[in-house]
Amino acid sequence: MDQDVQDRALPIANVGRIMKQILPPSAKISKEGKQLMQECVTEFISFVTGEASDKCHKENRKTVNGDDICWALSSLGFDNYAEAIGRYLHIYRQGEREKINHTKKYENPQNQTQINRAPPPPLLLSRVENPPPTNQSG
Amino acid sequence: MENNQQQGAQAQSGPYPGGAGGSAGAGAGAGAAPFQHLLQQQQQQLQMFWSYQRQEIEHVNDFKNHQLPLARIKKIMKADEDVRMISAEAPILFAKACELFILELTIRSWLHADENKRRTLQKNDIAAAITRTDIFDFLVDIVPRDEIKDDAALVGATASGVPYYYPPIGQPAGMMIGRPAVDPATGVYVQPPSQAWQSVWQSAAEDTPYGTGAQGNLDGQSMEF
Repeated sequence: MDQDVQDRALPIANVGRIMKQILPPSAKISKEGKQLMQECVTEFISFVTGEASDKCHKENRKTVNGDDICWALSSLGFDNYAEAIGRYLHIYRQGEREKINHTKKYENPQNQTQINRAPPPPLLLSRVENPPPTNQSG
Repeated sequence: MENNQQQGAQAQSGPYPGGAGGSAGAGAGAGAAPFQHLLQQQQQQLQMFWSYQRQEIEHVNDFKNHQLPLARIKKIMKADEDVRMISAEAPILFAKACELFILELTIRSWLHADENKRRTLQKNDIAAAITRTDIFDFLVDIVPRDEIKDDAALVGATASGVPYYYPPIGQPAGMMIGRPAVDPATGVYVQPPSQAWQSVWQSAAEDTPYGTGAQGNLDGQSMEF
């Protein structure tokens, strides 16, 4: 696989690392095996993206979102993936909502308790009256 | 595309040859038992995999760190000229979906390597997994033709020459890929052990004296050549 194609694929090291997770410790993976898996997973992204993109195009929408991906997975027969990713999306969105609510809570001045503190003392710049003489012998 | 969808739906819920629930079809010889047991075991491993992954998803709380780079995923998505804009959540979902895809295809490939008593996962194992699984039909153009040919000669028959068979009509169809196993007595989903996935391989190795090189389409679909 040349460099240009490699840049359009997922990194082989990451792919290999995921493969190893599920195999027994004694198992090995050939370099060709990793490369083929790399191609397969890249094709998987393109395949599902194409289906999701078609849906957006038909519905006159410009942005491919999470729901489109879940729909595409289901539409293409990846039922297990659609179910798992649908749940993953739900949990992700829940987390994002909580994050937004948390931010709003602390950005809203009404919710903040104003503590009246005395202003800090001005910074005292001690000016040196008689600086030590610099040694200018030379 | 429609054809692909139908195949995909069958692939994940279709009857499984010689499934756990059904009795052997008429004319199935005694030699079918080890093969049936092997397929059943492979089926259970895949089933456990999906149950385990669903459990894992329920406990996810870190969406910042991913095993695959989001920028690269976005780049691959953008390679499609029809894609204009991509929401922030799309690459995050793809990172997880790709992880599941790699894991599932690796398991299926390993089952093929294991049948052939090999400890190294090779290109032809992945090719075999692709040809055996209907939802991976979209990958057939990527797999070298010679790799498919080698496996195609073996698919549909085992080392002992036992053909596939389906449970008789009216009999339960057996296990379904990707659905949690149900305890027939209680009707409750049987959860997989929360220990590391490695234990599955160990228990499978201990249970299986059948390293017969049996080739099987784990989705119960007949292969067309």
